[in-house]
Amino acid sequence: MSDSVIGRKGAVRLPSYVFLLFPAVAFILIMYAYPFILSFVKSFELDGAFSTANYKKAVDLYYKDITFTFLVTLFNSTLATLLGVLLSVYFRLNDSFISRTLIKLYRIPIFIPFVVVAQMMNSFLAPHGILNLFLGKVGLVNLDNPLQLFNFAGLSFGFAWKLIPFTVMIIFGGFQMIDNSYIEAARSAGAKLHQIIIKILIPMNSSSILVALVLVYSQIVGTFTLPYMLIGGKIPTTITVDIAHRVNYYRDFGVANALGVFSYIMVIVTAVYYLKMNMRDAKISHPQG
Amino acid sequence: MKSKKYYFKFSMDLLLFVLSLLILFGPMLSLALWSVAEQWYWPNLLPQKVGFSYWAQALGLKMSFAIGAVSIVPAFLRSIAIAVVTVVISMSIAIPAGYALAKFKVPFASLLLLLFLMPNAFPQQPIFVNLLSIFTKWGLAGTVTGVILVHVLVGLVYGIWITSSTFKAIPNHLIEAARSVGADSRTAFLKITLPLAAPGLLASSVFVFITSLDEFTGTFFIGLPFVNTLPLTLYSASGTNMQFASVIGVLLLIPSIIFMSLVQKLLKAEYVGGMG
Repeated sequence: MSDSVIGRKGAVRLPSYVFLLFPAVAFILIMYAYPFILSFVKSFELDGAFSTANYKKAVDLYYKDITFTFLVTLFNSTLATLLGVLLSVYFRLNDSFISRTLIKLYRIPIFIPFVVVAQMMNSFLAPHGILNLFLGKVGLVNLDNPLQLFNFAGLSFGFAWKLIPFTVMIIFGGFQMIDNSYIEAARSAGAKLHQIIIKILIPMNSSSILVALVLVYSQIVGTFTLPYMLIGGKIPTTITVDIAHRVNYYRDFGVANALGVFSYIMVIVTAVYYLKMNMRDAKISHPQG
Repeated sequence: MKSKKYYFKFSMDLLLFVLSLLILFGPMLSLALWSVAEQWYWPNLLPQKVGFSYWAQALGLKMSFAIGAVSIVPAFLRSIAIAVVTVVISMSIAIPAGYALAKFKVPFASLLLLLFLMPNAFPQQPIFVNLLSIFTKWGLAGTVTGVILVHVLVGLVYGIWITSSTFKAIPNHLIEAARSVGADSRTAFLKITLPLAAPGLLASSVFVFITSLDEFTGTFFIGLPFVNTLPLTLYSASGTNMQFASVIGVLLLIPSIIFMSLVQKLLKAEYVGGMG
């Protein structure tokens, strides 16, 4: 389909894909690549001169939050992937009314935006919220001293609520590709349930488990809404909240960008994996090779 | 006779079912209850007085200063208008680019792919921070135009990927067949490629629309305090007025669930989860 390289009268004409791609490339370069590079440049700039003071200030003021962000991310991406695998295994091996219904219901949180999830959690997890009320009526919590959840625990509950359904969708999708004959063959050869899970299901589906982990991990690092609405400026909070404070209250783009670079560093491994994986997939599926 | 093992498994199934339902619907129930709770004294499990006065107030049907909520109709219309313009701009940039990536042998293709993948690989908040300082210089900070540009950025990358995989799925031999019976490339595109791609392009548009409607972080940096969209109205209300914030939450939740469940079959799983 490269019929447009040589134009009429032999004049060299630009191939048509240049015109097709130009707006998108120009837009992403100006609106993404430029600010992306700027976040590094500005992080090393103080009063117009090169300086590492922003990093020093970011670490001095926010080392607790940087650690907190990393722990929240590590804990929740592991939890979401682990429970994603367990639930998907359950759904794959049990074809019952319960599992079919749950698989459908588990999709709902995926479609709900983080800002609404944040508001739900805001009322649900509050000291006087429904969760505490319910646990109090059941007798698990003393209502004079309700659970305080606007911290690591509540944030993790919010992430789990939104992201476990997502990991289930990806990992269960991978399990569905595994033919029943493998499982039946292993069963007839006398394999126990845990052997089927560990030796067949998980190894055959390792790629989608890894994809789920990578996507969830990088999503948690970048999420602003949920920690902002649940924890806000309390200590410790996440980097994303600190960046917003730095910009809104102090117009301090230097420290904000230094924190931004920390968030880039935090996702560097998953980002490289994500880019490599998608570029490989794109090449495989490209018709012209 | 059912064995003991059967009953054990059945009760475990039931436990998982009940626990899942409680955890899944607990927060949603909380949102729904708060949106209609006119009186809810601690520690009652349910509101004492239920009604729609916050809804009426939010939807501009009633004006009462006692409730402390304002009409969200302007913010709602603004959000819809921004989302529509975002879809039009994103798709008119994404469709040609997606088509080129799918059907042409483009030089430096990997570099382009890298460029289009980067926004999803790294956190976007630092981008919004720097766009704020760039837009401040250009006079776009705090304007609807600035907000639309940010929404286009968020939607465009998904738009390009979804349209390009849509176009890839259309076999080249169909287009070649049309060309061989005398159709020029424009006719072949309009009569063969476009109709076949229509469902994918529509799904992609719906996705970009919802992404824009629900977008928070970019609007927070670029739009505030002058451009207030529905998610930002929710945020401002959430600290002060639980009922009002919950009404907006329900209003945002309904279109998201309806539209996303309509188009999710046509989209790759990771896109669907990437919102918000």
